[in-house]
Amino acid sequence: MSNANNPLTSASSALWRSEQMQRRIAKRQVRDRRFKRLGLTAVLAAAAFIVVLLSVVITRAIPGLSQAQVSLEVYFDPLVIGATPDTAATVAGRTAIVYANYGQLIAEAINRRFADVSDPDKQRQLRTLMSPGARAALRRKVLKNSDLIGTKQSIWLYLSDDADFYLRQRARSVEPLPMTSLTTKAATWLNRLQDENLTRRSFHWLFFQRGDSREPELAGILGAVMGSFLTLTVTIAIAFPVGLASAIYLEEFAPKNRFVDIVEVNINNLAAIPSIIFGLLGLAVLLNVFHLPRSSPLVGGITLALMTLPTIIIAARAAITAVPHSLREAAMAIGASPIQVVFHHVVPCAMPGIMSGTIIGMAQALGETAPLLMIGMVAFVVDVPGGLSEAATTLPVQIFLWADNPERAFTEKTSAAILVLMLFLFAMNGLAVYLRNRFETRW
Amino acid sequence: MTHIAEASPVQSHDNTVPAGPTAKATARAVNVTYGNTRAVKNVDLDIFTDEVTALIGPSGCGKSTFLRCFNRMNDTIENARVSGDIRIDGEDIYGATINVVQLRARVGMVFQKPNPFPKSIYNNVAYGPRIHGLAAPGPDLDQVVEVSLQKAGLWDEVKDRLDQPGTTLSGGQQQRLCIARAIAVNPEVILMDEPCSALDPIATGKVEELIEELRGRFAIMIVTHSMQQAARVSQKTAFFNQGELIEYGPTADVFTKPKHEQTKDYIMGRYG
Amino acid sequence: MTTNVTVFAALCICAVFYLLARGRALAFASRTAGTFQSRATFHGWWVGLVALAPVVVFIAVWAAAGQWIIETLVLQKLALADAPQTALQRQQFFVQIANILDGRAVIPPTPQVLKSAADYNDYLMLSRTAIGALSLFSCFACGLLALRRSNLNTPAQQRVERVMQIALLASSIVAVLTTFAIVLSLVFESLRFFNLVPISDLLGLQWNPQSSLSFTSQEDLGSYGIVPLLSGTLLITFVAMLVAVPIGLMSAIYLTQYAGKTFRAFAKPMLEILAGIPTVVYGFFAALIVAPAVRRAGQSFGLDVASESALAAGLVMGIMIIPFMSSLSDDALAAIPADIKDGSFALGATTAETVRQVLLPAALPGIFGAILLAVSRAIGETMIVVMAAGLAANLTFNPLESVTTVTVQIVKLLTGDQAFSSAKTLSVFALGLILFCMTLTMNAMALFIVRRYRETYE
Repeated sequence: MSNANNPLTSASSALWRSEQMQRRIAKRQVRDRRFKRLGLTAVLAAAAFIVVLLSVVITRAIPGLSQAQVSLEVYFDPLVIGATPDTAATVAGRTAIVYANYGQLIAEAINRRFADVSDPDKQRQLRTLMSPGARAALRRKVLKNSDLIGTKQSIWLYLSDDADFYLRQRARSVEPLPMTSLTTKAATWLNRLQDENLTRRSFHWLFFQRGDSREPELAGILGAVMGSFLTLTVTIAIAFPVGLASAIYLEEFAPKNRFVDIVEVNINNLAAIPSIIFGLLGLAVLLNVFHLPRSSPLVGGITLALMTLPTIIIAARAAITAVPHSLREAAMAIGASPIQVVFHHVVPCAMPGIMSGTIIGMAQALGETAPLLMIGMVAFVVDVPGGLSEAATTLPVQIFLWADNPERAFTEKTSAAILVLMLFLFAMNGLAVYLRNRFETRW
Repeated sequence: MTHIAEASPVQSHDNTVPAGPTAKATARAVNVTYGNTRAVKNVDLDIFTDEVTALIGPSGCGKSTFLRCFNRMNDTIENARVSGDIRIDGEDIYGATINVVQLRARVGMVFQKPNPFPKSIYNNVAYGPRIHGLAAPGPDLDQVVEVSLQKAGLWDEVKDRLDQPGTTLSGGQQQRLCIARAIAVNPEVILMDEPCSALDPIATGKVEELIEELRGRFAIMIVTHSMQQAARVSQKTAFFNQGELIEYGPTADVFTKPKHEQTKDYIMGRYG
Repeated sequence: MTTNVTVFAALCICAVFYLLARGRALAFASRTAGTFQSRATFHGWWVGLVALAPVVVFIAVWAAAGQWIIETLVLQKLALADAPQTALQRQQFFVQIANILDGRAVIPPTPQVLKSAADYNDYLMLSRTAIGALSLFSCFACGLLALRRSNLNTPAQQRVERVMQIALLASSIVAVLTTFAIVLSLVFESLRFFNLVPISDLLGLQWNPQSSLSFTSQEDLGSYGIVPLLSGTLLITFVAMLVAVPIGLMSAIYLTQYAGKTFRAFAKPMLEILAGIPTVVYGFFAALIVAPAVRRAGQSFGLDVASESALAAGLVMGIMIIPFMSSLSDDALAAIPADIKDGSFALGATTAETVRQVLLPAALPGIFGAILLAVSRAIGETMIVVMAAGLAANLTFNPLESVTTVTVQIVKLLTGDQAFSSAKTLSVFALGLILFCMTLTMNAMALFIVRRYRETYE
């Protein structure tokens, strides 16, 4: 079929048909496919990492969200408590109830259960199976209902983290692993309790109701969540208005001169400054110059606001530029002042983009740890913070603190806290994407 | 990319195709759709080695899309679907045995906007021969570059600065560089997609001269917006409107005695 | 807090003035049918703003200078012999007073300090009351004046909008002020550090800061050679780049050149998730999973791997930077006009040839800028290295050993309970300054390169 009239063309066809050229092309295409596979491998490697990370976090978090309890018959001895149902309402009675030695009630209950153990040393070992939180639980019960005094009740009480871990190991494998700090003796006691159906696992509500604690089974994230909430409140209260205002100024009012150029370069550079430097700024200026309260959500919030400001400004500027010029001209033509044009027309149109940028900035602030370490939000805070100037910690910092703890149970608490943090972050990012897709007008 | 092989024998000529030497490339019942829009509708067309074929028509009539079918550049557009039968030298270019790499080496293309690679002038021209292994690096490749630039009428202007970036040339020179780049792989067909639309009249004149010189060595298909240009450079003209091939014949006939009303209107300037 | 009360009261007064002025303007407008300058609400805003202005000024001035004034007054009451001599002693003196007033005195105070504390407290209370009264009075006075002087010809709208524009301008300066504050505080505190430790000591090969409570003695300050910190930082950064650059770049290439729509729809959010994981989570993962795994893997090859090896921290940091690298490379590739790519395809090049021989050389400046930004990010990254890298400053380039970084030392030195202004804590600011300069240089370079590169294609 080659064209006989044109020697050049037929030579070219022959060349392309030659076996040598065909082989060369085949080889080039193999190389192309290899390159493509390399790219695919890179994407899948990133995906594999996410899968591994999530599965590690989730598999460790799930046991951390349940807690082993034991049923004990507790006798609320009026002599130990120092009050009776009749005297409970008086000040003396109430004080007695608050300061009573509930450890003794528990010890007695355990001793009754394990009547065969009489060696005091072994009895002490037995008591260490219980969580220190059990005492507080009894106190709460008596405070709530003083009629319990003088009665004998079957009550579910928390076991210690080591006992909890042992029972979980036993449930999973046929052979119990005596690998924790539990003695073999203690393990047999636990086996006995479990075989008599006196232990159970239940969802660990306490984890969401308490602040930090030295005991893993009593440590909760409410304090940290509250701290994060307060901190972010301060952050958004500062970063959103200031960020929006500077974006408006730079896009709508700024003259084109050197000063504005400097501001722009400055914002871009600020966005890339390591977060820890903002922590140093907070330490040197907010704490040492202005003497704001150390470790407080106020200082943390201001620091994070300065850090997220560039993110918000950049997002808001992009959203504002996307609003077409014709809209501004239309508003101007009916006599709106520049300020009215901006606030009545441009900003409402750009709002979805601004909001999604702000949410992404807030998500960034929520996940941030390093600058908060600089301003002392690493303190061990047991109480749930209630105000902007109280000592507090945040969720990521709590994760950092727990991750440092050697106890195995804290690893689980850490994973559970990570899970909570990531849920918050996913929700925020999801909301940002939703806002962008749902409300953003394409011009 | 779906391909509907319609067994239309190449020799059985359609009535619209004038008799003559064997066609270099043939298109039968070609349809192109982007998503739900049909850009090219049932087009039959033959092109010949020693002729320049001009595709004319109003904007968005599908002539560029049709042109890009001949080197399968539509493959790179995500939702484009080409159906029909396109053959070069009787070989189905959408067939399973053809690979795009080889096809595109045999069918060169020049784009609307000059698009030299951000490389030196030398490397722009040498790129094709190098990837296809057509010339050994060294004197052989130098030779290919020189010949191609000479054929493109650019050699005298650039021979002293072959190592400068191709982007430093003027628009017309850039376009001729792109033509040299296409020639360097020794193609059989050259597709030109409005090659002069970004050029000034003088540069346009030079490119048109070049096309005239290249005629006979390559089968050339040129999409153009300018009817004057079509009249100047082409031997055959095809008029497209709304994706359909309205009229196809010798250029002189199409311009002086068009058979269709639409063609007449277009040539008289009644379309935008 | 009396300041809060003052602010609240002032706001109430302003609100009242707003309502009064607006009502007056409305009443005028209804009586006179003629043209009027501005709508009633703007009159309200204007008078309210005028009333608020003096309050803002008073509180701002007092926040800036109040403490200095009180401190000077307290020191004047003190006998010359008891007064602190140096600036550092003065600072300590007032820290002690603050501690006493907060009820957390650590060292039993001397009677002089106790007396000064009482003085300080008196002045503080007095000043708060005075400032409160003064600002409320001026608030009221200014508001009344503005209300009396405003009539329908007052250009209230223009004035209010002028104030708003000034407020917008002020907001845009916050970012600049932040940068200034960072630079000033880092430089100032670093200078204090260099008063204690000569700047040439930074070039030493030993990093071993000692806490010394007295900062007059020069002997036991420890050694402050930052070379091992920099080498550790660079080592971990290098490992991270070995992971992030190829994977990030290749995935950007795959996603832009090869992947179909559906695959992209899955992969892009996946990379966004990777980018959204907090660094503390990466750090946890590095310390809990990767570091032991690296150690075990090394042992199975008969290598002795430190439990906090630079390799483990670098690997995880690299993974953290993948999405960053990928999206920046994506931008760099997208900046190349599509017709250049088409030109290559039209010559019969395969995708791989097009990418390697046309796109990557063309995008090289952009990709180089991306790598610079990624390096700057790795250098400044804190949590991963704090949790997975070591504390000991070893000068080594063996990734299997434990090294420490600039950021780890900053965190380590500041999270312990430390007397502020000891050489050890002040050294943190010198480290911060070095970190700031390094990242700033790299960012500026990257931005410059990327901008130049964009311009070539516009």
